[in-house]
Amino acid sequence: MATRKKVLLKVIILGESGVGKTSLMNQYVNRKFSNQYKATIGADFLTKEVQVDDRIVTMQIWDTAGQERFQSLGVAFYRGADCCVLVFDVTAPNTFKSLDSWRDEFLVQAAPQDPENFPFVVLGNKVDLEPRAISTKRAQQWCQSKNNIPYFETSAKEALNVEQAFQSIARNALSQQNHTVDLYSELPEPISLTKTAPRNNGDSCAC
Amino acid sequence: MSAEAETNDVEPGAAPESMLIISESSENLQNMSSSLDEIKKMQPDNQDENINNVDPDDYDDISCNTIATGDDYIKDNDWLGKSKHIFVLSSAGKPIYSRYGNEDKFASYFGVMQALVSFVQADNDSLKSIHVGNTKFVFLFKEPLILVSISKTGESVSQLTAQLNYVFNEIVSMLTLSRLSQIYQQRRNYDLRRLLAGVERLIDSLLDFSDSEPSFTLGAVKCLPLAASIRDTISSAIVQSCSKIKDLVFAILLANNNLITLVRMKKYYIHPADLHLIFNLVRASESLKSAESWTPLCLPRFDSGGFLYGHVSYLSEDCQACLLLLTVDREAFFTLSEAKQKIVEKLRRANCLEGINESLNVREETCAETGFPELRHYLYKCKSTAQFYQPGVGAPYMSDYGRLLTLYRRAHQRLHSTSRPLKLLYEKSSDEVLLAWDTKGFELYVVLEPSTDKSATIALIGKLLTWIKKQEDRLFHLNAPTF
Repeated sequence: MATRKKVLLKVIILGESGVGKTSLMNQYVNRKFSNQYKATIGADFLTKEVQVDDRIVTMQIWDTAGQERFQSLGVAFYRGADCCVLVFDVTAPNTFKSLDSWRDEFLVQAAPQDPENFPFVVLGNKVDLEPRAISTKRAQQWCQSKNNIPYFETSAKEALNVEQAFQSIARNALSQQNHTVDLYSELPEPISLTKTAPRNNGDSCAC
Repeated sequence: MSAEAETNDVEPGAAPESMLIISESSENLQNMSSSLDEIKKMQPDNQDENINNVDPDDYDDISCNTIATGDDYIKDNDWLGKSKHIFVLSSAGKPIYSRYGNEDKFASYFGVMQALVSFVQADNDSLKSIHVGNTKFVFLFKEPLILVSISKTGESVSQLTAQLNYVFNEIVSMLTLSRLSQIYQQRRNYDLRRLLAGVERLIDSLLDFSDSEPSFTLGAVKCLPLAASIRDTISSAIVQSCSKIKDLVFAILLANNNLITLVRMKKYYIHPADLHLIFNLVRASESLKSAESWTPLCLPRFDSGGFLYGHVSYLSEDCQACLLLLTVDREAFFTLSEAKQKIVEKLRRANCLEGINESLNVREETCAETGFPELRHYLYKCKSTAQFYQPGVGAPYMSDYGRLLTLYRRAHQRLHSTSRPLKLLYEKSSDEVLLAWDTKGFELYVVLEPSTDKSATIALIGKLLTWIKKQEDRLFHLNAPTF
């Protein structure tokens, strides 16, 4: 497979409006920050190449709108994601409380094959601001209760931990992809003509 | 129209039985019957007698199922200036193919395309096209893929959609629809490019091919002009050499994107759209010239659920016609290799290789050379056999065949417009006169000198049809030989 292309990862960013999803992306992809708030309409899309160990992967980042009135992108929108990033604002308790519903919403809409082990990453953003409303411990506890989701505290403004967080996102997403490769090497010959029904009869599932 | 045209009992090129399925409408692979299973289940003897004279209506189940960042590119005038972009993405929005540029570099655009499709789908609707100035954005959602064409070529939405269907079929031909669906059922985030390494080249070729010639628009194939006796000899050489090989479904001989002959198993037909994929495979694969090849190939209109296996080889060093023997038996390579040798020997003894070469080496006559000075060019399609003919290209289109194609595509669209189809189109401009005529039996597109008036045009068309009728057994494959 020497000619194999770079792996492409679909990464969805979710969270309440104003927690800094777009700012995090901008910091990560463009190394820029602006204090000005502009609501995302629908979704923004960014691409970034990143190295994970010895592999270069392309991250296709789907920055979504946190405001409810813009959340009508259709059920197909979240499908086929490799990783979901949940963002909250450490100074705004309601944004932390809503992580549960964002996570549930994502699992319903994206309907991943194995929801228990689907890779999430949680980012507590705006750690440069005071007063702090959600402690590190509280956030970590929530993450542990959800099958050990990796947790990062970030500041898009100060570029704090942003690079590391996205590195972890890429790594987690990639682990899913590697899993996929294994799955396909176990597949039998493409289509057996002697089989009368070429439909999936479940015997090739690696789970 | 012209009295002369009406006196022709049967339109030129028509035959009692066609080797091709003829259907106008676009694709619906899901409704395909499973031809492969049927063949597999057939008795070894094939029970020829019983299916010898099956009425064509019995084939309805087959024939009617017709059915880093992107900023680099945004600023790249060369990329932006392309007249037609084609993109393929998974329904999750992951890039699979882009006609120009490295799709990794503008992965974000694929996200936008998916979001647009998804947004409209949320209302149980589907996005067909967006029109911005002269640019058309055409979307085709064929589960599990999304195909997008962004075109400034002036082609209609239905023509662009048809081309996207071809791209989808090209992908299916390498994987089968069953496997493609299965992959995404199991992993919606799958990056299909892993499986399609090398297929990009075929899609590139398919797009150039379909942009540069009329057979895709017409849904027809062109035959290599050959004396009927030579064509018949070739067909019977194939039949004789292969008649004992069970499970051989089609034998196809082609050269230079022209069909020489096609022999088929009784009861099975090939669709022109599948034949175009085969032409494209041969056209795009130089490597086939150097050795005998054995390749799995899915013909989506024939059976999207499984592979046929093709023995592919050129006849000989001194005759560049390509022979494909398609079977459902994946162990048949050596049997077919032997059969091929027999075919070549027979053809050589009967001087057919020379006959093919002669036709390949002769430049096709232009209208003027066949005695029609006012006629510049034309396309004639016989509907019942899905074959067409066009003469050699003369002035003033020799250096600009593309303009001629654009004229034909526009006329084709006017005749086949879903909202207001036309039977007859007559257009006069300072550059040329264009006439397009859709009858029960044929379609005719004629380009004439701008000075030609209506009555002269009508008289010419009568004469032209008579000429084609006289030449029909050379220009068309009128027999439908079977094993």
